Amino acid sequence: MILHCREIESFLPAYVDGEFDGVERAEVESHLVDCTACQHAVRIQAAMKEAVRRAAPAVAPIELRRSVRLALREEEPPVSRWDGVLRNPRSVGLLAAAVGAAVWFLAGGMSHRIFPRQSGFVDDGITLHRRGLPLDYAASDVGSVQQWLQGRLDFAARVPRFRQGPAVQGVRLSELHSRSAAAVSYSVPQGAGGRVTLLIVDDPDEADPPGSVRRLEGRQVWLSRSRGYNVVSWRTNEIVYSLISDLDESDVLQLVQAVEFR
Amino acid sequence: MLDFKHTDRTRREFEALALEHLDPLYSAALRLTKNERDAEDLVQDAFLRAFRFFDKFERGTNMKAWLFKILTNTFINRYRRRVKERTVVEGAAREQSSEKFIVRETAESAVNPEQYFFDKLLSDDVLRSIDGLPIDFRLVVILADLQEFSYKEIAEILDCPVGTVMSRLYRGRKLLQKNLMSYAVEQGVLQAPRAMELGSEAEEEADVLEFKRRAGG
Repeated sequence: MILHCREIESFLPAYVDGEFDGVERAEVESHLVDCTACQHAVRIQAAMKEAVRRAAPAVAPIELRRSVRLALREEEPPVSRWDGVLRNPRSVGLLAAAVGAAVWFLAGGMSHRIFPRQSGFVDDGITLHRRGLPLDYAASDVGSVQQWLQGRLDFAARVPRFRQGPAVQGVRLSELHSRSAAAVSYSVPQGAGGRVTLLIVDDPDEADPPGSVRRLEGRQVWLSRSRGYNVVSWRTNEIVYSLISDLDESDVLQLVQAVEFR
Repeated sequence: MLDFKHTDRTRREFEALALEHLDPLYSAALRLTKNERDAEDLVQDAFLRAFRFFDKFERGTNMKAWLFKILTNTFINRYRRRVKERTVVEGAAREQSSEKFIVRETAESAVNPEQYFFDKLLSDDVLRSIDGLPIDFRLVVILADLQEFSYKEIAEILDCPVGTVMSRLYRGRKLLQKNLMSYAVEQGVLQAPRAMELGSEAEEEADVLEFKRRAGG
């Protein structure tokens, strides 16, 4: 059967990519022998393919390779931690108690939700916090951070400052569960932790942040602990703010009391 | 039961199998997100996700294709909107970088003008042309031309029929060609009528099955 250019044109990519077997190849080639226009099209595609192959390969930064490895290790915190726990005879007793508690819990021994729908974004926030990726915008005053965020987020985030303690360093934009989010970084001068992240996520569907409810100066906050981090979340309008730090519980609650919006 | 040694072994196995594909994944991520930071985030997310689902990976099957499937899904689900927003800001800044075209006339151009033309294109322009493709076409061009996956593998990665891969690739390459030509004209490497000739238009859906049937019979 004789094929015409219009028929054959759309099969040329497959021909150029070596997708056709003997019969199909022969069919295309019998057309190409007499058709300079299609020969031309084949040469263009082959040259273009080559140009793409030449232009686009990239070598991943060494830093990325390292951070992927690190993240993989962190992906299973139980492994390293349990290892330590099991080597220590004293903690085996504690572990037994914890297993007991878990059994009690699984049997329904607790009334509040421990796997709330949204715990996901706080966990992602923790990942963001511990990765310590570069900031999109660095500034030492909350005013300019907030100004920078305007128009970059699809909601009106307000960047707080702390009456004493942590000073703002800057912000990184992110996307958590298809919601735009801002991770504002603060430095903590004292202590080994050195850094606090305030995760700001737009939260239109009125569900509660994860954790147990506490009252702070008449304000309702949620305290949760995940992967070694204490997280305090609160809601203002439809925006959820989560303060992530490795400070201990009382310190992080105190920090939240020092939050000031202007 | 808790089996720590097993978990550790799993991670080592995953690292051994997966990390060798880091460079190709990063190359693809860079063309999807169009910037290095998002590409790094995307790759890292994809690796973590792959690790989480590693028990679903059938040993002995195509690890690279499996990772690319996770990478493209992660991109489509989580990054697309963000990248779109960022591109608007960056578009203006990128416009300035097209002055460094080298015009080098040799006898070669007469022998194989197409090859000559594409050899002369700067990588920057090729990349810009890829980046200008709508996402569906960009995906197949990246997978077929940059990564050299087979159509069958691409169909599995994108979860679509082989015929769709083929028609997207056909149209993707057409668009790519058009983009490249317009850069060439813009920079005076090619005159407009010649460009028209190189970038001839024909929008037809490919039906690889129909072709195979006819060629076979």
